[in-house]
Amino acid sequence: MDETPVLELRGITKQFPGILANDHIDFDLRDGEVHALLGENGAGKSTLMNIVYGLYSADDGEIAIKGKRVQLSSPHDAIDRGIGMVHQHFMLIPVMTVTENIVLATEPRTGGVLLDYSAARQRVLELSKRFNFAIDPDAKIQNITVGQQQRVEILKALYRNADILILDEPTAVLTPQEATELFAILKDLVAQGLSIIFISHKLNEVLDIADRITVLRRGKKVETIPREGATEEGLARSMVGREVLLRVDKTNARPGDKLLEVEDLRVLDDRELEVVRGVSFDVHGGEIVGIAGVDGNGQTELIDALAGLRKPAGGRILIGEKELTGASAHVRLEEGLGHIPEDRQRRGLVLDFSLAENIALHDYDKPPFSRWGWLNPRRVIERASRLLTEYDVRGGAPRTLAGALSGGNQQKVVLAREISRNPRVLIAAQPTRGLDVGAIEFVHKRLVAERDTGRAVLLVSLELDEILSLSDRILVLYEGQIVREFSPDVGEEELGIAMTGGRRGEAAA
Amino acid sequence: MVARAETPRWTGLGARQIAVGGILLGCFAFLVALPPITARAQWWPPLLGILAIGAGIWSLTRGARRPGWFAIAAGILGVGLGILATQASSGNLDYVVNWAPLFSAMFVFATPLTYAALGGMFSERSGVVNIGLEGMMLTGAFFAVLGADKLGNWFFGIVCAIIAGGLLALIHAFVSIHLRADQIVSGTAINFLALGVTGYFFYKVYGEQGTPGSISQVPDRPRLGFLSHIPWAGHFLYEVFGTLNLLIWFAFLMLIVSHIVVFRTPIGLRIRAVGEHPRAADTVGISVYGVRYAAVVLSGMLAALGGAYLSIGFVGSFNENMTAGRGFIGLAALIFGNWRPFGAFAAALLFGFSTALAFRLGQPWGNAAVLFQALPYVLTLIAVAGVIGRSIPPAASGRPYRKQ
Ligand SMILES: Nc1ncnc2c1ncn2[C@@H]1O[C@H](COP(=O)(O)OP(=O)(O)OP(=O)(O)O)[C@@H](O)[C@H]1O
Ligand SMILES: [Mg+2]
Repeated sequence: MDETPVLELRGITKQFPGILANDHIDFDLRDGEVHALLGENGAGKSTLMNIVYGLYSADDGEIAIKGKRVQLSSPHDAIDRGIGMVHQHFMLIPVMTVTENIVLATEPRTGGVLLDYSAARQRVLELSKRFNFAIDPDAKIQNITVGQQQRVEILKALYRNADILILDEPTAVLTPQEATELFAILKDLVAQGLSIIFISHKLNEVLDIADRITVLRRGKKVETIPREGATEEGLARSMVGREVLLRVDKTNARPGDKLLEVEDLRVLDDRELEVVRGVSFDVHGGEIVGIAGVDGNGQTELIDALAGLRKPAGGRILIGEKELTGASAHVRLEEGLGHIPEDRQRRGLVLDFSLAENIALHDYDKPPFSRWGWLNPRRVIERASRLLTEYDVRGGAPRTLAGALSGGNQQKVVLAREISRNPRVLIAAQPTRGLDVGAIEFVHKRLVAERDTGRAVLLVSLELDEILSLSDRILVLYEGQIVREFSPDVGEEELGIAMTGGRRGEAAA
Repeated sequence: MVARAETPRWTGLGARQIAVGGILLGCFAFLVALPPITARAQWWPPLLGILAIGAGIWSLTRGARRPGWFAIAAGILGVGLGILATQASSGNLDYVVNWAPLFSAMFVFATPLTYAALGGMFSERSGVVNIGLEGMMLTGAFFAVLGADKLGNWFFGIVCAIIAGGLLALIHAFVSIHLRADQIVSGTAINFLALGVTGYFFYKVYGEQGTPGSISQVPDRPRLGFLSHIPWAGHFLYEVFGTLNLLIWFAFLMLIVSHIVVFRTPIGLRIRAVGEHPRAADTVGISVYGVRYAAVVLSGMLAALGGAYLSIGFVGSFNENMTAGRGFIGLAALIFGNWRPFGAFAAALLFGFSTALAFRLGQPWGNAAVLFQALPYVLTLIAVAGVIGRSIPPAASGRPYRKQ
């Protein structure tokens, strides 16, 4: 292997208003390695990579590619030097086809002016054959799964002959199966000569795939270590700067009254297909019920129906004694329902509002936040700043716009709002998606604490680990039906089999 | 969804086709009462109309909801208009419904709208809403007259119009792209600016007596004399297409070119990418600002051409505010046509036809015909309300883009 690194960063510094996102960071990527970049939410990982990709300009520091100093002032420069990036939030155009997205800005032409779609399509097919991607070049992005979209992003980089590939939290949006497939692809890419930078919050993944690991904390580099000898606990400690509990500590549940009851619920999706097909369950105060399942088995529609964002096609929903099947989201909130939505950017936050305003979304119209129809901004801000400290939201004051926070910190704001309302029933959908280990520990502790004060918690998650370690009872959702119920000491394997429809129809355990 | 057979909600083809048949029947209910058929028996329109309504209800219950409603509406309208027509004197009918001049006038009235709509398409496809089309058109109309008058040739008039429209669009581009101002506000300001500037210079240069009658005009060319030799339809074709203005033909050309550029070239792909998801375009190295500037300036030039057609192609003079909202109707045609060149053109033809019809109706029936001029607006409301399939604007249209 060549000794000069393919990419070398020296003293990279980037100041955002009010926060030093990158503070003299050194980093190097060797030829043919997978280098993982770890760090808490807001540690500056995405910022650093955006600098390498020419999207942000560094205030200080230098970048060298294959030993040569370069100036990367736009993505164009970066692409020219063989850098490709798959962003945390995908950069694909939903209404265009896979081929159009891939060739955009480097289109093959006929006669110098016309777009040669068939040649473009041919190249996409060749590339996907070479790297074993199963992808339909003529499908529209909006009609393919997130896993496939990610492959399109990777193909975009490969099409531009990238030999350095940056992946920003590629597995945050993938199902475990898709993640496994992604890793196979990445190993293949390395075998074909690419070097990869891989950002993730999932320590087991990092230990699985990385050759070396660099940890950032609050904009500074902590260390770069080889995978050999690294442990999850050790990595977690250097990320957060203290010991982190990777397992949840909890006592046995003491279930009380039935607080949430669902009877024979049926829900249609946007295409009017029935995707929740007669679901019945209940959640008592003082317990956490986990709903496990592979993505796309009706979770989203079930949550929407419970939260009042989608009208059920049949069945009943009761909170406490009260039937709320047809009630609006507002009424449900009044009745004590809390909802941590799956998609924080679309349903959890108004990105153009300040944090204080976001936190006050549910109760801005009640005293002490408003009186006689007048808002009391001082109270709104006071409360927000208390919650931001309590929930350890980094990089934001009450007046910061929600859109300026890093992904993980946005999630903490949603949690702060929903939990602080003291709901009787809390629905938590993917509550830790995109969170770092320290924040996950915090959220898990919070959810258990909520349970212990007697609230009913319904946890919907694609992460088996999370389901297993938090739930007091586990329900498996498969093709819109609850097919099994398990106690939390079930083996991961048995749960996995039930999630993919194995041994269906057997009596519940 | 994980491995589940999708049950189709309706097997739609049959119902849909019946509905389309119903719509045609509804149109026919009206048409039989018009020349050249001119059925005078009062029972023809109701008969066909009821068949249309029946077809509509049938397909409505079979799941083809939208086309079904359309067939019913077509049936009712067909009956009403048909009965009216059977009661009108056939002399009046023959005068109003003279198809060849009607079609020819349709092209005349549709041309300014087409230019405006094509211009708006480039701008909006790149993500900039251009309400200022009206003003750019008006500016084009004035500077075309000024250029043709002072430089002595209609060709220079067109050049002046294009330059003036482009410059005005450049202001809109700068304000809405670089300064990231609200694009509606900027466009509205552009319209008032154009009104003021053209009004001022009009009085300053031409004073009370208006533009001279001797201005060099864009000729009606080519004269397609050979058309009349075509057997059977020749005379009709010659009357419709034989003597169209050069700028009308140029509009047809621009229509085809725009379609090819937007959907068949890399440039078009990039324009659409910038209008749908500017950040994604940015990350593959496309200059979002560059594309938007080019598209907005082009839109101003096209709108100005529409204005030039009005002043030195059609009327031969300039009047204050002579565009009278045609830029806005062009914008409506764009929305009606779902931001596609041929869709917008079809809408422009429809609007043009209703204007032409209103003009002809005006002769025998006077003011009541003015109601027909409201047709474009009614149709636009229907289109925007989503009756004819939803029209979906480019995702980023109207939103300023901020570079990091
Ligand atoms: N465009 C911006 N304007 C202002 N501040 C920003 C901007 N982008 C990022 N920041 C701030 O810079 C810090 C680093 O953000 P960055 O997105 O790099 O974090 P991250 O390590 O990728 O976190 P996460 O794991 O949550 O994605 C955060 O505090 C964030 O609020
Ligand atoms: Mg990030």
